[in-house]
Amino acid sequence: MNIRLKLAAIFLPLGLIIAAVPENTTKAYKLTAEELLVEAQEGAQFMSTDEIADALVQKDPSFRLIDVRAQDEYEKFHLPNAINIPLTDILSDEWADYLDQDVKMNIFYSNGNLKSNEAWMITRQLGFENNYVMQGGLNYWAETIMNPTAPASTSPDDEIAKYDFRKGASMALGGGAVGTAKSSKKSSPKPVIKRKKKKKRAAGGC
Amino acid sequence: MGPLVVNEFISPDTNLFLAFLIGIGFGFVLESSGFSSSRKLAGMFYGYDTTVLKVFFTAAITALVGMLFFSLFGWVDLDLIYINPTFLHSAIVGGVIMGVGFIMGGFCPGTAFCAISIGKLDALAFIGGLFLGIVIFTEGYPLFEELYKAEFMGTPTINEFLGLSRGLFSFMLIAAAFGMFWVGEWAEKKFPREEY
Repeated sequence: MNIRLKLAAIFLPLGLIIAAVPENTTKAYKLTAEELLVEAQEGAQFMSTDEIADALVQKDPSFRLIDVRAQDEYEKFHLPNAINIPLTDILSDEWADYLDQDVKMNIFYSNGNLKSNEAWMITRQLGFENNYVMQGGLNYWAETIMNPTAPASTSPDDEIAKYDFRKGASMALGGGAVGTAKSSKKSSPKPVIKRKKKKKRAAGGC
Repeated sequence: MGPLVVNEFISPDTNLFLAFLIGIGFGFVLESSGFSSSRKLAGMFYGYDTTVLKVFFTAAITALVGMLFFSLFGWVDLDLIYINPTFLHSAIVGGVIMGVGFIMGGFCPGTAFCAISIGKLDALAFIGGLFLGIVIFTEGYPLFEELYKAEFMGTPTINEFLGLSRGLFSFMLIAAAFGMFWVGEWAEKKFPREEY
């Protein structure tokens, strides 16, 4: 039996096995449980409602709001320009290009923090970058941006500036009643866009 | 878990060091299997010695089967494996130049360095030509740039191109490889050469 036949006896059955089994399409988790826990505890995924309102008012093109609630809830109410990716569809290929990219900042939101944090955890585990969570969700949004409560007149200036900004944002975004500004307007700090390096293919070649 | 570098199991520096060790091993095996003889290599084109075909195809199908099984077991993420991007025109032109150089010189770039390490003078001439080619290409790059970058196709793989599954295409390739080995050995008998 020559070497060619011996090799063929090894390789052809292996090839048959490979041809017969489906491709492994499972996506390996990129972070260990501990790493994810550390990130979650740091809370670096949270964007405040003020930052998001500012981005919406200024029509910042680098932001993309993603509503992770069910479709009927999305149709009832959603933030301006938000797209709807229900949590149940988050792993479908249809949305992969939206979630795994390094161009825009994706901001997940739901009614509270729960679903949006789930979405963030899933995408983070897959190694995707640039996904964030709107802190407090729509409930907090309604509380702070749509119907901000006026601070006491003895509050520090930045509290009042924050209130003014929220009031302005509320007007711009179609929120509650218009009030009068109490002190000179300060622009709120711009959100800092963090860009992390994306995992690239190993370079190589002959 | 793999690829090890991308997932930061080993650092890029360690990677280079491992590449160095693997390179030495590769060179040693090339030399000891007679790949530093230009006549043996050129025999591929005349049919009297098809070792090159057999060795490289065996290497290719071994790596192929290995990677696919690794992927099947979840040991490596094939999406993170580097695929050389295809520039169709420069690939064709480069292939022709490489092929002509291979027949004329009797070496491919790697084996030329193997041969020069054991003092073969024809390899010295070959490497001289290689450097000349590099100088002409780099100095004349503005002239070649358009051709060099024409028809960029991204990183297509043949099985995607044919619409086959990875596994099925691999099986066909393995079968084709053994078919070629058979043809190769037939050619060795058909065009024998006593000494080379």
